[in-house]
Amino acid sequence: MPTLVGVFDSPLDVAETVKRLKGRGFAKLEVYSPAPFEEVEQAVDPKPSRVRLFTLIGGLLGVATGYAMTIWMSLDWPIVIGGKPFAAIPPYTVIAFELTILFGGIFTLLGLLAVGRLPTLRLDPAYSARFSGDEFGVAVEVPERDVAEVDGLMRAHHAKEVNLVPA
Amino acid sequence: MTPPPPPSSGSVAAMIRPTPQLGDSQINRDVMSVFMERPGLGWLLLLGLCLAGLGAGAVTWIYQIYKGLGIAGYAHPIFWGAYIVTFVFWVGIAHAGTLISAILYLFRAKWRNAINRSAEAMTIFAVFTAQLFLGIHVGRIWKAYFILPYPNQRALWVNFKSPLLWDTFAISTYTLISIIFFYVGLLPDLAIARDRSTGWRKVLYGALSLGWQGTARQWKSHTRTTLHLSGLATPLVLSVHSVVSWDFAMSIVPGWHATIFAPYFVAGAIFSGFAMVLTVMIPVRRIFGLEHIITNYHFENMCRFLLLTSLIVGYAYGIEYFIAWYSGVEAERTSFWLRAFGPYWISTWTMIICNGVVPQIFWFKWARTHIPTIFVVSTLINIGMWFERYVIIITSLSREYVPAVWGHYMVSIPELLIVIGSFCFFSTLFLVFLKLFPVIPISEVKELEIHARSHAHGAHSEAH
Amino acid sequence: MPELDRREFLKVVGASAGAAATAACSDPVDKLIPYLIQPEEITPGIPVFYASTCLECSAGCGLHVKTREGRPIKLEGNPDHPVNRGALCALGQASIGRTYHPDRFPGPMRRGPDGRLAPISWDEAIALLAAELKKAGNRTWMLGGETGPTASALIDRWIEAVGAGGRVVYEPFAPEALVSASRTLFGVASEPVFDLSGADLVIDFGSDFLESGLSPTEHARQLAAARDAGAEQGRRMRLVYVGPRLSLTGSNADEWLAAKPGTEGLLALALAQVALAEGGGTEAARAALSGALARYDAASVAAITGVSAETITRIGRALARAKAPVALPPGAALASRRATATCGAVLLLDWALGAVGKSVKCPPDDGRRRPSYRETLALVDQMKTGKVGVLLIHGANPVYSLPPAAGFVEALAQVPFVVSFASTPDETSAHAHLVLPDLTPLESWGDASPRPGVRSLVQPTVRPLRDGRALVDTLLDAGRAMGGEVAARLPEGSFRNLLEQAWRDSGVDFVQALARGGVFEEVRHASVSLATDSLQLEVVEPLLEGEGEWALLAFPSPLLHDGRGADLPWLQEIGDPVTKITWSSWAEISPRTAEKLGVSYGDVIAVETVAGALEVPVFPRGGVRDDVIAIAVGQGHTVGRWASRSGERRGVNVIEVLPSLTDESGGRAWLVAKARARKTGGFFRFAIAQQSQDQRGRRLGLAVPLAAFTGGAPPATENGWAGATGAAIAGGAARPHGGEQHDEPGAAAAEGHGEAHAHSVIKPFDPAKDSAPESAYRWGMTIDVDRCTGCSACVAACYIENNVPVVGEEQVRSGRHMAWLRIERWIGDGSLEGGEHPWNPVVPDDGGPAPDVRHVPQLCQHCGAAPCEPVCPVIATYHSDEGLNGMIYNRCIGTRYCSNNCPYKVRRFNWYDFHVEGWPEPMPLMLNPDVTVRGQGVMEKCTFCVQRVAAARQTAKDEGRPIADGEVTTACAQACPTEAIRFGNLRDPESAVVKKSADPVRSYHALHELNTRPAITYLAQVKRGPVEG
Repeated sequence: MPTLVGVFDSPLDVAETVKRLKGRGFAKLEVYSPAPFEEVEQAVDPKPSRVRLFTLIGGLLGVATGYAMTIWMSLDWPIVIGGKPFAAIPPYTVIAFELTILFGGIFTLLGLLAVGRLPTLRLDPAYSARFSGDEFGVAVEVPERDVAEVDGLMRAHHAKEVNLVPA
Repeated sequence: MTPPPPPSSGSVAAMIRPTPQLGDSQINRDVMSVFMERPGLGWLLLLGLCLAGLGAGAVTWIYQIYKGLGIAGYAHPIFWGAYIVTFVFWVGIAHAGTLISAILYLFRAKWRNAINRSAEAMTIFAVFTAQLFLGIHVGRIWKAYFILPYPNQRALWVNFKSPLLWDTFAISTYTLISIIFFYVGLLPDLAIARDRSTGWRKVLYGALSLGWQGTARQWKSHTRTTLHLSGLATPLVLSVHSVVSWDFAMSIVPGWHATIFAPYFVAGAIFSGFAMVLTVMIPVRRIFGLEHIITNYHFENMCRFLLLTSLIVGYAYGIEYFIAWYSGVEAERTSFWLRAFGPYWISTWTMIICNGVVPQIFWFKWARTHIPTIFVVSTLINIGMWFERYVIIITSLSREYVPAVWGHYMVSIPELLIVIGSFCFFSTLFLVFLKLFPVIPISEVKELEIHARSHAHGAHSEAH
Repeated sequence: MPELDRREFLKVVGASAGAAATAACSDPVDKLIPYLIQPEEITPGIPVFYASTCLECSAGCGLHVKTREGRPIKLEGNPDHPVNRGALCALGQASIGRTYHPDRFPGPMRRGPDGRLAPISWDEAIALLAAELKKAGNRTWMLGGETGPTASALIDRWIEAVGAGGRVVYEPFAPEALVSASRTLFGVASEPVFDLSGADLVIDFGSDFLESGLSPTEHARQLAAARDAGAEQGRRMRLVYVGPRLSLTGSNADEWLAAKPGTEGLLALALAQVALAEGGGTEAARAALSGALARYDAASVAAITGVSAETITRIGRALARAKAPVALPPGAALASRRATATCGAVLLLDWALGAVGKSVKCPPDDGRRRPSYRETLALVDQMKTGKVGVLLIHGANPVYSLPPAAGFVEALAQVPFVVSFASTPDETSAHAHLVLPDLTPLESWGDASPRPGVRSLVQPTVRPLRDGRALVDTLLDAGRAMGGEVAARLPEGSFRNLLEQAWRDSGVDFVQALARGGVFEEVRHASVSLATDSLQLEVVEPLLEGEGEWALLAFPSPLLHDGRGADLPWLQEIGDPVTKITWSSWAEISPRTAEKLGVSYGDVIAVETVAGALEVPVFPRGGVRDDVIAIAVGQGHTVGRWASRSGERRGVNVIEVLPSLTDESGGRAWLVAKARARKTGGFFRFAIAQQSQDQRGRRLGLAVPLAAFTGGAPPATENGWAGATGAAIAGGAARPHGGEQHDEPGAAAAEGHGEAHAHSVIKPFDPAKDSAPESAYRWGMTIDVDRCTGCSACVAACYIENNVPVVGEEQVRSGRHMAWLRIERWIGDGSLEGGEHPWNPVVPDDGGPAPDVRHVPQLCQHCGAAPCEPVCPVIATYHSDEGLNGMIYNRCIGTRYCSNNCPYKVRRFNWYDFHVEGWPEPMPLMLNPDVTVRGQGVMEKCTFCVQRVAAARQTAKDEGRPIADGEVTTACAQACPTEAIRFGNLRDPESAVVKKSADPVRSYHALHELNTRPAITYLAQVKRGPVEG
């Protein structure tokens, strides 16, 4: 199936177009935008991102590691230090806290990569450098017969131009 | 990476071919020009200067490792000197970036966009510089790895009760998180650079941008990631300087052992960090002509922050003296008395005037908007903040419990060389950054622009 | 099990290492081969002790030379020796360095035409000397310090054998006046022996018996015994110090009479007069003296001496009431041109009080050659007139220690052939034509007889490190080489044989004597009676040469003595016990003098006398009379690796501005010159070991008034450790806490001070708890501030026991000296003003009439809750099972956080490779093999001599018993003459430390309010106050 790439100027039009296209049942579409826009993201996929799950796991893992490591290492070879208990929780909390942040952060990054499908070796054929300028692109796969209709739909929503990228 | 032109109509291909100049956004062109163009003579001279200073510092350090720490000005019992002072100074500087990116992000303070990229870069470089000093300070750098809890069959672990170990964890965590934060923010801009560069740069940015295309899904997780990282970085940034302050507060040294230290140090860090951002960004903005992106409005907000933090720091100074008197502990009283009127009075008053008094000028709008004034004041604040650490560390150590072993410390030439070298190290990194990455977070600025632009358009389309 | 394997491995390594180590031993050439036949007395790793005698001064303390694998590594006192009973002073401790001195003469040297010394063989040297002796005949003279009786006899025999002109014994600080006074009064020309142990009132007329007196170590022990605070109720001995300068001895006194220098004799007579008038003293005395003493009434003497008549009367009364009073005659510092009369007056006081025969013994003259300054000067005259052909100089450094006014150097130029027997270069050997290096005491045989009844032996403990030869052997060889009847007249055999012969002849079991260190017996002296002509003593105020408003007081340096200690690095670095100045000279002046001259601490003044002028920085202090400028003898050398600043003069040599004068009987006079002084505008930054002597009311050195003992039970406290009590008393006694001082920082702290300790700021604790529950030991220490005299013997012992490097003047200047143990000198409870002079350690008040100086040894407290431990990121310092605060050098990365957090500031850092720079060859041979030598970049501190504990544990383990109390002690405690430092097990309820630290009134912990739970318990000084009339 060929891909139609509509070039837009306004995120609002993009959002509108996407809604229409989805309404028409064209599910295989991708939006390229130079900056994040709530409305666009909503139109494409209303579900919240799954990155937050990664953050949560990372954080929990971190705090656990923090306490486990400090306590175990202090008890592996118990040495009296300044007349304090071998495993002293208050000072170890600092370590646990730092590790929570560390693991949380790293996992969040992994989340971004996993959910955002990164890294990719080659870019989509529909992608164009102007989409990292200040124009938007809506790429949708359409059967030959619907090309004209979709083209019309896009232009109706102020698409500056609509181009065809053959399959 | 342009798609192959379709066989049917040639026009299509023509229309989709990337055209960096024509049809590209103004902001892209402005920012690209800053770091894509060949470096100017000024930049090269500056770099040369920094590299020279860096070299001098490095040589001194090597000599110190060979000869021994004795070449520094240490005098019993002042066993921490200019190295730790400068370490704390740089850690302080490192706080502006994350604060601006993370905390202001959470507060949705949009004006941060103009400066947060360079601030983040500054953060990372400052942390690097700070970490250098941990190595420079220790007596046996060749054994410094003992401080890491690496597995060994003799069950020799580290002492997690030591504030210095908290430091190790806090600083390294902070470094990693800052880098991640910086990189995530940079990702879309790298894609922009990739699409508009050729040669080695294209390869570099291509690799770094991980094939970012700004798809809706990517943007969504990107936004979410930024949010979470901000959420994590905010407590982190507060914790890091608290931990650094505990290096002192956890000890029993009169003048160090104070509960106020954590908030006191954090405020000081933000204070010095913002000052440093201003000191650096004012010339940068001038040289690269970014006045219409980094506007006086931004600077004014920064000045407001300086004023606020200056008040906090000033309050801390006051309360320190009050508690020393109120405690009734003779050692504390003597320590603080001698801070102000003892052999180190110059440093003390420098700190009080630069950090407590001078910034009060920002109560006046003209001062907040008059760039030369801002530059001078922010520079003074940097000096004052260095002296703050000097006062806290040196004066307290020099007058402790046993008057028999009171001492006097003076910064030695080698120490000075190394400290200067550290500033050159920082500047070198920043100069390179200027020529390698966009100083302005393009996509964030763009977001605002497009919003503004599409409003009219949007209204029009609604009416349709 | 890995541990076991490791142990096994270590054993093997240890064994082989030990074997290797033994190689280098008694042979300076390092060959890494183990003994083929092992000497049966040497077990690798086990020290061997040899009894010997210290020859540093005339006291003749007994030594136990600790040797490891054939190398002496430390000198300790011989517990059996009656003089020092196991203790040893700093000079004695440091004298081990003579043997290992890097600059020792490699062998005989001859001065060539180019003026340089070039090595020659012993045969050549002996032949040359013999030839010169032949040539010179009776124009041969010998000048040297005191030698042991046997050597002395042999030298005399040699002199008449070779027909030499004669010999002169020369000792700068010899108590010549005292001897002649004793001759005049009692007809016995010998040094009286003073015994303070039974005394209840001691008046020291400036003999400085704790630092440079007749027998410092012995007298320190006796003093401590006499005023033992434990037995305070019974004996309440008082020490009164008379002298223009509050010396170390003075700072240990209960009362200070700053009499005008030189008038001590008058004061003594006045006291005698009052005492007798009050019905004190003996019948005989009252009969014989009352009339003669009438003219020395309190009033007129007060006018001359500057001591008020009331004081004289009060102390006179006290003397009358005292059961066993003792008066000590002046030492070198106050030896004026009337020294004999002065000493006579003091001895007369002793006699009048009935002390002579009891505490003051006048033994018969043993007939040995005594030092004589008059003879020395006579010899110099002969030299000037070319009557001396060959001059043999041994055991003395006259070029340095004779005043230029005596013209010795010029005279030396007239002597065609000068022979020096110095083992290391000194000012005198620099003028010698031939140098025949003597052996050091640790390498040679000999004996000493400090007083009748005490004969102790000197035996070699190491093969000579350099190609030296014993003085007597050299002389004998030279004599034999002269052949003919000279050789015939000389005894057969070597000095060693002759020594053994001499001892055997006197009916002594030589081997037993060797093992014991000598022969010690109590001899009963015939009682002496007062000679009739003794009242002919002319006791008048002495004249001082020249003009000027100040008297120049040249006093013996407590550590460097007459300068012989100046090239022993430890003594230079430990610094003067009073001013704490190291590596240099200073002039002590009173604050008023300083004001008059417009100078303050460190400013350089020019001091000018009839004999010359010198420039010296000042140290103003309250402990000096306004009309006195005091400069220590001992510095100002121009030769010596440590004695000089690489060939340049170190400090000043005050002798150079003294005219060469004698007292009535020809003894050397030191207190002879007036001085002018003016500011030069120069400033000298002292390398000083103590920044401030003002403890600002902090709980470091505490004192309790006598009332605390007599006033029944001490004030109650909820604090199990009565330290608080002591503090409260000390604080209360120190000053009334006025509320009006509150606005001044610190003042209210004193408030907090006084009260705080009554409140719960201090948590009571039991140091015995601070070690592993299953451990039988918790090592601890008690330090009795009342017993500590500040002599610094412990510091020297610590340096040498623990391989503590000497870092030199420049490093000390930035406080980088490495002493693990220092003695802090505090003046009273200290001021409480907030301000201070950043560079001025001086506190104006140094005591006044009732000096309150506290000497407080400060070392690692081995805290139960040590602040240094939690802050170390790598656990390089930790709390051991036996309660020690351990320091793991090879784990340390040098963050130096531990030192920052140590409130006592007893941790030291290796800023450079001190262990390389501090121990030039062959000094590494004297390193203690049981103690790690620390490398660059690591922290170090006192270990409570853990190596000694380990050694004791080994023996105890072998015998299957716990370590007994007193079985193990630290180097500092071992060296202490007054047993101020005790070391022991706090878990043993019977141990001395537990008993001592249970003292309800005096015990306290330094900085207790920090709750560091120290293992060291201090016992507060007792303020006895002035003598009651």
